[in-house]
Amino acid sequence: MLVIALCKGRFLAPSLELLIRAGIRFSEDVASSRRLIFDSDDKRHRVVLVKPADVPTYVEYGAADIGIAGRDVLLETGADVLQPLDLKFGYCRIAVAGPKGTHANNGGDHPTIRVATKYPRITMDYYNARSIPVEIIPLSGSIELAPLIGLADRIVDIVETGQTLKENGLEILAVIAETTARLLINRAGYQTKREEVRALIQALEKVVA
Amino acid sequence: MKSYTQIPPGTQILIGRAARRRRVLERAICSVFEGWSYEEIIPPIFDYYDVFTKGWGHEEQIYRFIDRDGNILALRPEFTSLVAKTVATRLASSPKPIRLFYSGEVLRFEKPKGGRQREFAQIGIEHYGGAAKSADVEILLVAVETFQRLGIQSFQINLGSVDFFGGIVDRMELPKEQIDALKEALNIKDQPRLEALLQDLPLEDRRKKILRAVPHLTGGRSVIAEARSLVKNSRSVEALDHLEEIYSIFERLDLAQHLTIDLGEIRGFDYYTGILFRAYVRGLGFEVAGGGRYDGLPAAFGEDVPAVGFSFSLDRLEQIATPMLDSSAANAPATDVDSDFAKALELRQSGKAVKLCL
Repeated sequence: MLVIALCKGRFLAPSLELLIRAGIRFSEDVASSRRLIFDSDDKRHRVVLVKPADVPTYVEYGAADIGIAGRDVLLETGADVLQPLDLKFGYCRIAVAGPKGTHANNGGDHPTIRVATKYPRITMDYYNARSIPVEIIPLSGSIELAPLIGLADRIVDIVETGQTLKENGLEILAVIAETTARLLINRAGYQTKREEVRALIQALEKVVA
Repeated sequence: MKSYTQIPPGTQILIGRAARRRRVLERAICSVFEGWSYEEIIPPIFDYYDVFTKGWGHEEQIYRFIDRDGNILALRPEFTSLVAKTVATRLASSPKPIRLFYSGEVLRFEKPKGGRQREFAQIGIEHYGGAAKSADVEILLVAVETFQRLGIQSFQINLGSVDFFGGIVDRMELPKEQIDALKEALNIKDQPRLEALLQDLPLEDRRKKILRAVPHLTGGRSVIAEARSLVKNSRSVEALDHLEEIYSIFERLDLAQHLTIDLGEIRGFDYYTGILFRAYVRGLGFEVAGGGRYDGLPAAFGEDVPAVGFSFSLDRLEQIATPMLDSSAANAPATDVDSDFAKALELRQSGKAVKLCL
């Protein structure tokens, strides 16, 4: 049996749809149930529902053989997993944003830019690569608020349409990376459950092509 | 300041059954190594810092300290550098090949992962001064026998070669950053990233086709044939010849189901010079063993001899191997210390464990 870790939240519906189109059937309603573990009708696959940021961890440790998560989450956790497929949904940009007319690489009056973010690792890598001193202010939500009330000079966040930024008087100053949903595979499972894992990769490859 | 009653992160204490399991596994593995005529080497737990930076790299993971004479020392983060240094110095004039095994704790400043703490137990073998043809097969067979001796059936050895990929990129004359970016994408089989990199590279389509195929070149004998149809350079072709020979031997020994050829396996690329492999066991999310050929290492210590070896992670093996542990101790109720003590001695001499109840 292959264990597949999926994100709760906005990724769940498109992830399930892909699995169903790849031929995995669930008679239960995975999306609306409160349970966290579901077996496919033929018992060959098991889906577990976890927080998006935890998907790479489940896969890296082999608690799940396979996972679906955003590339942003992968970059942030730095998990050592195989990432063979772009599943082509959930497109966003990971970007530095700030008040209109400001610059990503300086913090106005502050010698060290204060950056609020849910992505401390991606932020640190971005500024380190440019040798710019940065103070990272870790937040877990409503990141756009931080520059408006003086908590931070800039933010690093994922941007889907830019509407939220716009409504808060912010704009994209630099795009760090693009992100979509990715298929993650545990390295050991890729070898020890070779046939099952590869059959699923191939089925998904056809579906997203 | 943490309380001294806590244990530092990354350390662990094995007690009773857990300690016995460790020793039983260790003894079983050592007996396999001894059966193949490997001699034990017990190196020091610390040595000069430069030994490890020269041999192993990964400076950021090394625990180092300064002795009273001002020398920078380091707690061993692995055994191979220490063994290679010893072979290149004290054993320089010994007849080759030299077969050595080791078992003990190593220390690395890294995030505990997959059942491995910052201090963890490694057990492995090294083969110096032998022809690659036979030595590579030998150490792979020792690894196979180790799994079998431990009663582990579902093991999978994932075998690649630095020279296959090396031969391909040698001829492309790309700057180091671009090769590193390619390796990074191949290492995680990241097809979209690989595709994006190839878009920007000034390479002929034929060469791009080869690189595109690399992540898929994993499986049985057919993979070698497929790879042959893609490359012509002698370095890659010789690597394929060598892998095919190994595969044929595994087939003859009826072990081929445990061997996967993986030409996309290029992790640890800077350290290895020929074959490289990792071993996995069904049900465990992390590799339990890894190794390969590192001909350049003894040369770094002044003696140019070929070298190949592997190590098992005991901490990870303990999670899947279930050795029989004998824990029966005969109770010897002692009412009369003189006679019962003599009786207990007799029991112990006959090989029994005795618990005195005074």
